[in-house]
Amino acid sequence: MELIIDAIITGILTGGVYALMASGLTLVFGVMEIINIAQGAFVILGAYLSYALAQHFHIDLFLGLLITMPVMFVLGVLIQVLFIRPLKRDRTMLSILVTFAVALIIEGVLTILFTANIVTLKAPYITQSFRIGNFYLSYIYVYGFLLSVVLLAGLYLLLYRTKFGQSVRASMLNRTAAQLIGIDVERVSALTFGIGVALTAAGGMAFGATTAFNPGSSYDLISRLLTIIVLGGMGSLSGALIASLGMLIIENVTAVVWSPTWSSTVFFVLLVVILILRPQGLLGKLEGRKQ
Amino acid sequence: MLTLHQVVAGYNDSEVLKGVDLEVAKGSITCIVGPNGAGKSTLLHTISGLLHPWSGDIFFEGRNIAHLNPRQILEAGIVQVPQNHSLFTEMTVRENVRLGGYLVKDASKVNRTLAEVEELFPIVRERANDKAGNLSGGQQRLVEFARSLMLNPKLILLDEPSMGLDPRTLKQVFDKVAVLHESGRTILLVEQNVRTGLSASTHGVVMESGKVRLTGTNTEIQHHPEIGRLYLGGTLAEA
Ligand SMILES: Nc1ncnc2c1ncn2[C@@H]1O[C@H](COP(=O)(O)OP(=O)(O)OP(=O)(O)O)[C@@H](O)[C@H]1O
Ligand SMILES: [Mg+2]
Repeated sequence: MELIIDAIITGILTGGVYALMASGLTLVFGVMEIINIAQGAFVILGAYLSYALAQHFHIDLFLGLLITMPVMFVLGVLIQVLFIRPLKRDRTMLSILVTFAVALIIEGVLTILFTANIVTLKAPYITQSFRIGNFYLSYIYVYGFLLSVVLLAGLYLLLYRTKFGQSVRASMLNRTAAQLIGIDVERVSALTFGIGVALTAAGGMAFGATTAFNPGSSYDLISRLLTIIVLGGMGSLSGALIASLGMLIIENVTAVVWSPTWSSTVFFVLLVVILILRPQGLLGKLEGRKQ
Repeated sequence: MLTLHQVVAGYNDSEVLKGVDLEVAKGSITCIVGPNGAGKSTLLHTISGLLHPWSGDIFFEGRNIAHLNPRQILEAGIVQVPQNHSLFTEMTVRENVRLGGYLVKDASKVNRTLAEVEELFPIVRERANDKAGNLSGGQQRLVEFARSLMLNPKLILLDEPSMGLDPRTLKQVFDKVAVLHESGRTILLVEQNVRTGLSASTHGVVMESGKVRLTGTNTEIQHHPEIGRLYLGGTLAEA
């Protein structure tokens, strides 16, 4: 029983970080109807940026986000403007190829700069742990979770309490209608892409602080992140949150009550069942968006 | 007020408008009719800036607006209500109408305009906090009309406002078209429902295969022999 509670707690804490990583992906899909295959590579890039700042300049991982997030924001805006915006037709399909190319470039550059060796992020709160019940948990799980909560709450406020957020939601709901009331949808798209990538920088740090990684780690990540947004419902932020928590809790609990070998399998079986019952995902809309 | 000169436009490489000439008089209700695929919606998209003309000129109050973006065209005083429903279904009715004033920076000005619009369209106040997607098709149309007034436009483009409505709702919608007109706006309307459209209008335009075939006052168009033969099975000429 203790084991299960521990598994659930760890599942919630890591699930929060996955929600952060997936939020950018689902937001970008919602506004632009493009699938950003490079999301996993952006996570790893974010982790390496934090690694480099800590290694070379001794900047704390959390403090370093004040540098890495704006840098990744600008990178995201540039990628949208240079590579996504020129796609005038078949955007959804072509975006997969284009962002896959972006992912390969990022992976290549990271391999040149950092080699393919596995690295870990280092900080006192990663090595130190505290006790709950009979278990010890590293502080980083809690800090990473809190970081995700703060950033996701910030994203929520941005979307629902600001005029910019209103233009993002309008563009998500109906692109043509948004243009017809004077919203510059292309500008909204670029900024949204930037925000998605900036959030990924934070997610990457929290991910890298709990998991050893190398440039190739992005492949496992992107498949998990895609699963999360499909399960949650493409374009739904709260769906991504629920799916992330669900995925990590189920995997962790299966690992302790059964075996770690089965943890992903059980989750994927559940995923298939849910998608048969609800093809649009947990919180997705069945009807296509109106253009 | 609005003059189109040899406008050519289309999508990707398919040319839809093949040199459209059109004149919309200030204060008129001009109704465009024509078969499916004639390019009526494409024409409205080209005026509102969703599409850019490949060649030709569009003059609005003497200024060439052919290469402005949708935002600049809104600012010039032209607003479009598109053919498909265009409300943000997950937002409330009030939020939708308020968004019509997206370009207005001054919130108190938006509130004043909103109050005026609610006078003309009581449904905006009655259903203020309902999700727009929960309204019927006809009600959504009225809310779209209300939203289009938020920037105090001079010219309103309406693309098939009657689409999918039963006859009674259709009458309500056209009553509101008259309300928009009486509030001092010029209206350019596309209508499949030829009889209703033309009889609610002051001028008519017949489009076919990306060109304007006939123009005139609504009576001229209604009684034009070719119209009856071509599109109306002879019925309208007798009406
Ligand atoms: N987004 C688009 N991409 C490519 N072609 C389009 C697009 N929209 C319309 N067309 C084509 O342009 C032509 C004219 O379409 P348009 O919608 O302007 O006609 P319409 O006169 O409004 O017809 P309807 O009465 O059916 O609304 C059609 O052949 C249509 O297939
Ligand atoms: Mg049409």
